[in-house]
Amino acid sequence: MCKEDNECMYKNRRYKETDKMSDLICDNYPMVLVMSRFGIPLGFGEKNIGEVCSQNGVDVKTFLTIVNFLAEDRHEPLPEPELQLSLDSIIVYLHNAHDYFLNFRFPHIRRKLVEAIASCPADVAFVIRRFFDEYASEVNQHMTYEEKYVFPYVHGLLKGQGSAKYNIGVFKRRHNQVEAKITELKNILIKYYPGEGSHLLNSVLFDIFATENDLASHTYVEDYIFIPAIQLLEKSIANSHHDKSGFENSDC
Amino acid sequence: MISPDLKIAIAESSLILRLGMEAVLHQLTGLRIQVTEVGEGESLAESLHICHPDVLLVNPVMIGGSVGIKQLKNECDALHLKYVALLSVQVPAEMLRLYDEQISIYDTPDAIKQKLDVLCNEMSSEDGADDEQQTLSSREKEIVVCVVKGMTNREIADKLFLSTHTVITHRRNIARKLQIHSASGLTIYAIVNKLVDLSEISVNGEK
Repeated sequence: MCKEDNECMYKNRRYKETDKMSDLICDNYPMVLVMSRFGIPLGFGEKNIGEVCSQNGVDVKTFLTIVNFLAEDRHEPLPEPELQLSLDSIIVYLHNAHDYFLNFRFPHIRRKLVEAIASCPADVAFVIRRFFDEYASEVNQHMTYEEKYVFPYVHGLLKGQGSAKYNIGVFKRRHNQVEAKITELKNILIKYYPGEGSHLLNSVLFDIFATENDLASHTYVEDYIFIPAIQLLEKSIANSHHDKSGFENSDC
Repeated sequence: MISPDLKIAIAESSLILRLGMEAVLHQLTGLRIQVTEVGEGESLAESLHICHPDVLLVNPVMIGGSVGIKQLKNECDALHLKYVALLSVQVPAEMLRLYDEQISIYDTPDAIKQKLDVLCNEMSSEDGADDEQQTLSSREKEIVVCVVKGMTNREIADKLFLSTHTVITHRRNIARKLQIHSASGLTIYAIVNKLVDLSEISVNGEK
């Protein structure tokens, strides 16, 4: 049920395996991105979510957990019983999201932005462009770190290899919100843009709104599903390790 | 998931009270609230550090009474954070002295809404410069120019004969008034408003 019907843009209900995939997407169109990040293409006909997932080798529980988490707009870590998920599937999802932001979304916004602000004074266009480029490179760094360190670490964990030097707590502490600065760009354009308005500029603004939300959701999935799921895995590895070496497990 | 009006952290060991409180908060109309839950006293300071809430709704008993709240305030050093005691039992008045407000689990949603509104107003009036929240004072404009030119707080302080502490306060007010937090964002503001010339910043501004 919607919390407030007048503010609720999408139908907000818990999706199940037996719901039609097309209903999910039509109720809540940003889910088309979620689906594609799991590697599921369009054109699934009348099939339900369970069928489409298994056809594409996607863990349906993980898919539904993320879909419901986003549809319900939850902002807190999932409780343990809900975290028995396929980390492989989550990594595919996150990796494809990174690819989307870095290799499609940002370049696309940049092209449109540069064209849209072409008519405003050259110095203003310059600093706006520079702001955007700095931002894109920050996000790039942020996501590259995850690709280079976090994902391999998790793959190692899944194979039963821990790391003495690293645990996900390190990442958790340094994980910052990547959408803050694009929010700033949005504010600046809305409040201070000195040039003429145009359809193209409005369209860029819409893209920025959407990307801001998308990045925020992305961070939520990382902070509240991915990281807690890894911590759970770390804990179970530590426990089995303790059991094997015969230590009493005093603290867990 | 547009940025919320109010970020609230609920620190309460009872899951039922936590979730109940959260449900009530989400029901309040007219406020977009983002809630973070904290179930253990030990992880509280860290959570506050990570999620920077505007309001902390905390069970005063869970964090160890008056000593606990004092310690917490010292530890997390968040000047703008409002501390609200979440009361499920009666506690000595002394324990509540350091809180900005109290909410009882028997409060009606309207009463809670009213208390949060008051806190929100306090917060925005602390933002300084009363109603003209958007316009910068001439001192603040000077500081924007310095920041944009890539000067450090120390250098700005020396140039304008201020303490670094005052510079930091000014910068915080600027960020809040303009909703711009980064130096490159301030650069756009400064160029658009003709506070500086591009030629002045390109020299130092390149990082």
